[in-house]
Amino acid sequence: MKTKIIVALLTAGVLGAGQSALAHHPFAAEYDAEKPVTLTGTLSKMEWVNPHSWIYMDVKQPDGTVQKWTIESSGPGAMTRRGLKKTDFVAGMSLVVKGYAGRTKPAIANGRTLVLADGRSFYIGTVGGPNDGADKQ
Amino acid sequence: MPSILPALEWLEALAWATAIRESNWGYPIMETAHVASIVAFAGVVMVMDLRLVGLAFAQTPLTRIQRPLFPWQMAGFALSGVTGLLLFVVDPLRYYGNVFFRVKLVLLALAGFNALGFHLTIFRKVGRWDEDPLAPTTARLAGAVSLLFWSAIIVSGRLIASNWFN
Repeated sequence: MKTKIIVALLTAGVLGAGQSALAHHPFAAEYDAEKPVTLTGTLSKMEWVNPHSWIYMDVKQPDGTVQKWTIESSGPGAMTRRGLKKTDFVAGMSLVVKGYAGRTKPAIANGRTLVLADGRSFYIGTVGGPNDGADKQ
Repeated sequence: MPSILPALEWLEALAWATAIRESNWGYPIMETAHVASIVAFAGVVMVMDLRLVGLAFAQTPLTRIQRPLFPWQMAGFALSGVTGLLLFVVDPLRYYGNVFFRVKLVLLALAGFNALGFHLTIFRKVGRWDEDPLAPTTARLAGAVSLLFWSAIIVSGRLIASNWFN
């Protein structure tokens, strides 16, 4: 009996570790659901990569200075399913990103909604984000 | 000492590495295969380790467990090794700078030395203790160390995805 319990625990541990490995960066470890941000600016670079993509954008502040933001977003597979293409991202284009800021690091956010200059809106969230309805639009 | 960084940058820029990095399906399939093969490998290794430390199948001779499982163990290791190497090549600079990736490599080396030491020493004389419900202390120790290292490798592998220190 004791042995059975130990084996079951080890098995659960291995399976659990395997399963969660696919979730990548857990949202709550790095981002704060209490810090929603809406960023309006221009795209400086887009890394269309697995496991998660990265949007780099310049956001003009009220005082005229430019803040460089890094936004974690869905990987290529999820982006494609939601209707986005790598070629939709051109350096210099205007965009609006809604998301949640990092817990400690400055100017980093977890993206939820992307609005392109033509008005088209896309869900760009990753697994584990808050249940804010961004994925239902 | 020359830096390894130019070599990693060269790897990252390879056309096929870039194609996998930007793929819809290639990367998720590779990643799933990596995890699945680790589960298979670790599961088989742990069955043998539990027999070694005396927590399971005590009445079964060790070689009756080890011999049929060994090919499966090596198959799991080969697949996880190949997929692991590919995952590294796809994003070498990020892994290089990731503390959990470095910890995992060190633990892999230690687990490898433990397995090698076991096979080259006490396991050579397995005929003498094969049917003993309680294996010799060295063998039990190797089993316990193996359980510990492989568990720690899985945990550190999982933590690679959490880039707290980057």
